[in-house]
Amino acid sequence: MPFNGKSGKFNAAIRTVEIGTGDKAVKLGGENVLPFYTFDAPIENAPKVGVMITDLSLEEMENEAAGIKEYYAGATSFAELAKKAEAMPGADFVVLRLEGADPNGRDKSVEDCVAVAKEVGDAITAPLVIEGCKNVEKDAELFAKVAEALQGKNVLILSAREENYKGVAAAAGLAYGQKVGAESAVDINLAKQLNVLIGQLGVDQANVVMNVGSAAAGYGFEYVVSTMDRIKAAALSQNDAQLQMPIITPVAEEAWGVKEAMASEADMPEWGSQEERGIDMEVETAAAVLASGSNAVILKHPTSVATISTLIKELV
Amino acid sequence: MAKFVVIGERLSTTAPAINRAFTSRDPEPILKRAKEQLDAGATYLDVNIGPAENDGPELMKWAVELLQGNFDNVPLALDTANKAAIEAGISVYNRSKGKPIVNSADAAGRIEYIDLAAANDAIVIALCNGEGIAKDNDERMAYCQTMLERGMEHGMEPTDMWFDPLFLVIKGMQDKQEQILECIKMISDMELNSTGGLSNNSNGMPKHIRPIMDSAMVAMAMQCGLTSAIVNPCDLRLMETIKSCDIIKNNTLYADSYLEL
Repeated sequence: MPFNGKSGKFNAAIRTVEIGTGDKAVKLGGENVLPFYTFDAPIENAPKVGVMITDLSLEEMENEAAGIKEYYAGATSFAELAKKAEAMPGADFVVLRLEGADPNGRDKSVEDCVAVAKEVGDAITAPLVIEGCKNVEKDAELFAKVAEALQGKNVLILSAREENYKGVAAAAGLAYGQKVGAESAVDINLAKQLNVLIGQLGVDQANVVMNVGSAAAGYGFEYVVSTMDRIKAAALSQNDAQLQMPIITPVAEEAWGVKEAMASEADMPEWGSQEERGIDMEVETAAAVLASGSNAVILKHPTSVATISTLIKELV
Repeated sequence: MAKFVVIGERLSTTAPAINRAFTSRDPEPILKRAKEQLDAGATYLDVNIGPAENDGPELMKWAVELLQGNFDNVPLALDTANKAAIEAGISVYNRSKGKPIVNSADAAGRIEYIDLAAANDAIVIALCNGEGIAKDNDERMAYCQTMLERGMEHGMEPTDMWFDPLFLVIKGMQDKQEQILECIKMISDMELNSTGGLSNNSNGMPKHIRPIMDSAMVAMAMQCGLTSAIVNPCDLRLMETIKSCDIIKNNTLYADSYLEL
């Protein structure tokens, strides 16, 4: 009998979710093959790269790595910062992280944060993703107001969690027509459950993107990989409609927060350049989550953004 | 492994209301019963139009178009002794949600239903049966082998042949039940799919007992590798058992709301 090569493409596919508007809108997901398995079937939408800035970026720029400081030099407003972020070579979208809202940190008011979000949203034409401060009560309040203020821009609100999904998903997904991020922390069963619950609220599942959790490479990262593997297996080989949402993974905040990136050269002379270590952690983590099935990663260093976007272009 | 495939059995001429609806081409009772089964979690619907000797092809076409048109191309099992009616049904069938199932072939007088399925790129339910009920598993597996070879000669994928061990009624054939489970295991060990009219096991039992017995049977059969069954999906206990077994077998990923999905 002649040999019949079989394609490993699946009869199921990840849903396509579009964020942003106009020419620069990006599509996440849509594939019916394992990550980068372009030899089984074409991958219509290559994974995307987001560039993260925060509402503290202006005041805390001096603490950033030299390459980041240099890139944003001269920016004196959030609008200018955001324009530079969207112009970064390799960037597909901009991420504004409202970390200053944290009640245990700067505790900035919701109004102040909404003003920053509005300024950023009005300054750019690239799609915008809004991250919160990780405090579930504050985020619920913040996301509702931001979703309202940015109506019509089709932003992704990152994210609704088990504790606040009702408020966040209802505001972003139902009231103001934005895209909803569903966040679970490396817990496959909760990842699925949250999608079910958000669906039961009435949010169209075609408007949901998952953040299934992340960790810097080397920091419990194998759990992240096995979670993503199992989710893609359920979505594609078991045709599980509750897990066919594209995955977005915030990488920068994890990668730049571990000791390999933070230890100074004075403390760890044998480890070499601190900035290079940070970039390495960011690039390695991003490459690994992309290989495990992320449809988008969030980075911050210009070298990482350029490296990962080149990697994606070479593979898809 | 794939999720267990529930084939809803309630669109059958053995039910007088459905029989009348088929005969008079009255869509309403048919759509109502189809919807109940789909809402309850059926994947496929069996469409049993009986022998349909007079107007089989026309009736099957009508039923396929009615059901697929109203329920987003729901996949169907075409169940009749009239071969022309099955072919007519397939000619108007939309396969976007799954191949049609030919219900059914056996290793004797109905072996040509395998050829029919092969010619139409359909799935076939293959009863491990010749003339009369097989006396033991050697006989069942010989029939299985005969049908498998027939299908493969005609170019079928072995996974498109769903072997039916023939569930037997407990009242009267209690001593045969373990054989049936062993037969399912043997089919599964050959990496083949299986299905069957599972609730036959509880025939003649009081109404309140049947869901309990059917649930126990489906759980034991799934552990032996049963991949599908033709059942009443409106039996809540049975469906909860199937969904729970799918979780334990890692056929579906657990979430707290799994019974609602």
